Amino acid sequence: MESLYLLIPIALLFCVITIKLLLWAINSGQYDDLDKEAWRILADDDPAPQKPAERADGKDPNA
Amino acid sequence: MLPRLPGGRLTDQRKRFKQFLSPSHGVQQRPVSLDDVPENAGPRAAFRIYDDPELAATFSTRDDQDLVHARLLIGGISCAACTWLIEQVLQSIQGVIDARVNLQQARLDVSFDARILSMSDIFARLDSLGYRPRPFAQQARREHLQAEYRDDLRRLAVAGIGMMQVGMFAIALHAGEIQGMEPQYAGLLRWVSLPVAAVVVLYSARSFFSTAWRHLRHGKLVMDLPVALAIGLAFIASIWATITQSGQVYFDSVVMFTFFLLLGRFLEKRARRKHTEAWLDAEDELPGAVSVRNGEHWETVPRIRLRQGDTVLIRIGETVPVDARIVLGQSAVREDSFNGEHLPRSVGEGDTVYAGTLNVEGNLQAIALGTYRDTRLAALRRSVDIGGGEKPRLARFADAVAAWFVAGILLAASVTALVWLQIDPERALWVTLSVLVISCPCALALATPAALASAASALRGMGVLVRGEDALETLPRCTHLLFDKTGTLTLGQLRIAQVLPLARHSEAQILSLGAALQRHASHPVASAFGEYTRDSEGFDAVSYVVGAGLMAQRGAVSYRMGSIAFCREIAPALPDPPDDDRLWVALCREGEPLAWIGLDDPLRGDAGAVVAAMRDTFGLHLELLTGDSSARAPRLAAALGMDIPGHGLSPEDKMARVRALQHSGARVCMVGDGLNDAPVLALADVSFAVAGATDLARTQADFVITDGGLQRLLDTCRVAQRCRRVVRQNLGWALTYNLTAIPIAAAGLIPPWVAALGMSLSSLLVVMNSLRLNSPGRPIAGGPMWKVSTS
Repeated sequence: MESLYLLIPIALLFCVITIKLLLWAINSGQYDDLDKEAWRILADDDPAPQKPAERADGKDPNA
Repeated sequence: MLPRLPGGRLTDQRKRFKQFLSPSHGVQQRPVSLDDVPENAGPRAAFRIYDDPELAATFSTRDDQDLVHARLLIGGISCAACTWLIEQVLQSIQGVIDARVNLQQARLDVSFDARILSMSDIFARLDSLGYRPRPFAQQARREHLQAEYRDDLRRLAVAGIGMMQVGMFAIALHAGEIQGMEPQYAGLLRWVSLPVAAVVVLYSARSFFSTAWRHLRHGKLVMDLPVALAIGLAFIASIWATITQSGQVYFDSVVMFTFFLLLGRFLEKRARRKHTEAWLDAEDELPGAVSVRNGEHWETVPRIRLRQGDTVLIRIGETVPVDARIVLGQSAVREDSFNGEHLPRSVGEGDTVYAGTLNVEGNLQAIALGTYRDTRLAALRRSVDIGGGEKPRLARFADAVAAWFVAGILLAASVTALVWLQIDPERALWVTLSVLVISCPCALALATPAALASAASALRGMGVLVRGEDALETLPRCTHLLFDKTGTLTLGQLRIAQVLPLARHSEAQILSLGAALQRHASHPVASAFGEYTRDSEGFDAVSYVVGAGLMAQRGAVSYRMGSIAFCREIAPALPDPPDDDRLWVALCREGEPLAWIGLDDPLRGDAGAVVAAMRDTFGLHLELLTGDSSARAPRLAAALGMDIPGHGLSPEDKMARVRALQHSGARVCMVGDGLNDAPVLALADVSFAVAGATDLARTQADFVITDGGLQRLLDTCRVAQRCRRVVRQNLGWALTYNLTAIPIAAAGLIPPWVAALGMSLSSLLVVMNSLRLNSPGRPIAGGPMWKVSTS
């Protein structure tokens, strides 16, 4: 049972870390829009990877 | 695939535009004349005012790497798919660094490279997708809401994690009590629970203390007072118990109680805040850019710079930007903003046109009579605010009983303390505490909001947004149900109802001829022919005669379509149209009348059934309030079995009618759709905006039907009634529980941990009972379940 003296402080440490993380997430605006994020998983075709190439050669792939 | 605009990629278009119009500080110049008004360069030109650095600075910032970060408000966003589309399309444009849409606020944050793109490109692209972009005004209120939201979320997060942690220690403690635990470990568990609970009490529960104290200073007892007392006393007693190694600790109850109360309030607040974002001002309906005459040229300037006496150009299809007197041109304006009717009013030189109405027939030059503040639209907007301010609000039952309840609890607790001090001073504190804990009004405080939140969520699933949850309580008590006509009971669009051929043509041939002609018009009548255009032959030299109709040539034969006088000029034999309340349009060719085409605005498919159900099943008194001054309104009212206090009513008349009813003790529910209904919707006890309602009407209604027809009215009424029943059950349970538990606790028969458990279970029961409302589509058994109580 002596292990409690070690394990409980560790649990408290995790608790503090979790709260810190959550506060950081809230402060950085990740929870500002709870409606959209629920749907994000359904959205496909992330266009982001296309763009660097497009910008690098300065050409329009659609042209 | 990258999106294409007509005429190539965005950047090409921009270049072309730069050659076409050379901007001088956001202002473009065009030659003056009304006959040859420059080809309206589409919505793009209107957006070029946002390239003006001064104007752009109000909603965007530009950093030293030429990146512009702009914040726009997007009209027309309704769901997550919209945000996906906007983000996808914008991010695929060359030069856009980042685009994020916030659905809750209908807000777009976009960053782009100013060397590649200009602000108007972004606006134009959004516009071409079918959304209405506008600068996001940094309102103090909006900022405040956002800050408050994050603050609530932080408190909730801390309370939630604290609850889990303290809960784990508490389970160990409770298990230890049953199985036997060495006191040193019990002491350890108490000591580690204390700092965690302290953080939750001092940070998360602070709002309960401050609210209770604020009201107490003004001599008011509110629900937060016993909440604060219970949290405060239980916490202090637990500290005492921890230090002295005696009694019982309540850290878990304190923290759990705080978390559940905060959660309930957070969910309630969020549902309330959603869609109340006041991003829609009436002013937003007006165009942002206006053509103003400056000497020999037309300049495009931001509308806010308009001054009295400026000559403005109002093109066909544009919204009138300001109240103005026409100096040149003939046209017709759709004034459905003011009277809800879709047939335009013909206007000519000397007539006044009003801001917010739509110019449908010809280009106009007009002199501004003042700024936005002087317009009829602004006056309408102000009466919306007045209506909202007058709206009667039922005080929540829980709030009403709170004061008595609080006084009762405090009395019971003090009596218990006094009595136990006589019997056994050692136990006095613990017994008093268990009275306070067990009587903690958690369940009572949750009873109403939990049921309302659950009902609102059920309605959202059916396609009804609930803006004012209070309305859910009020709805079952309504005695009068008032309908607007155009757009609410009817579809609000003209349809072809009847064709009377006058020559040997078939109905299909007539419609095809009519459609070929009307293809060239933008009048509301033309839209009724839209579906018949498939195999219609074309006409040459189609021209529009303002206020009369269309004339055209096919080969050597001339055709006309429009008013009776206009058609009789070439076909004198044209007979009179049938005498009914339809709108009759004549079609003829030289010397030969071809047909009369009757148009009307059909009822919504379910209007008859819904109206009948409201009257018969729910026993509501029905009235029709319409701005339509034709004979159709009384006939329609009679056919549907509704009363009609008058027709051709202005918004002021409608408000007066609602006030009169409310004055006589009635509770009024209003169903409407238009800008003109907004003040009435704000004034009525309960209000609905139907699908397709204008934005202003939506912001004023308690219930917004987003999906489906009038049937949703019935659904909402049913849910509201179930909600009312659940609230009563909840309150009944909470009061019964408290009244029975307090005497037992006062007698010292309840161990403190049972008190804590009982409190949590009673709250849980209330929440579970409320969640029953959310079970989808369970039909309610029984006959007429709607009883109108006038109490």
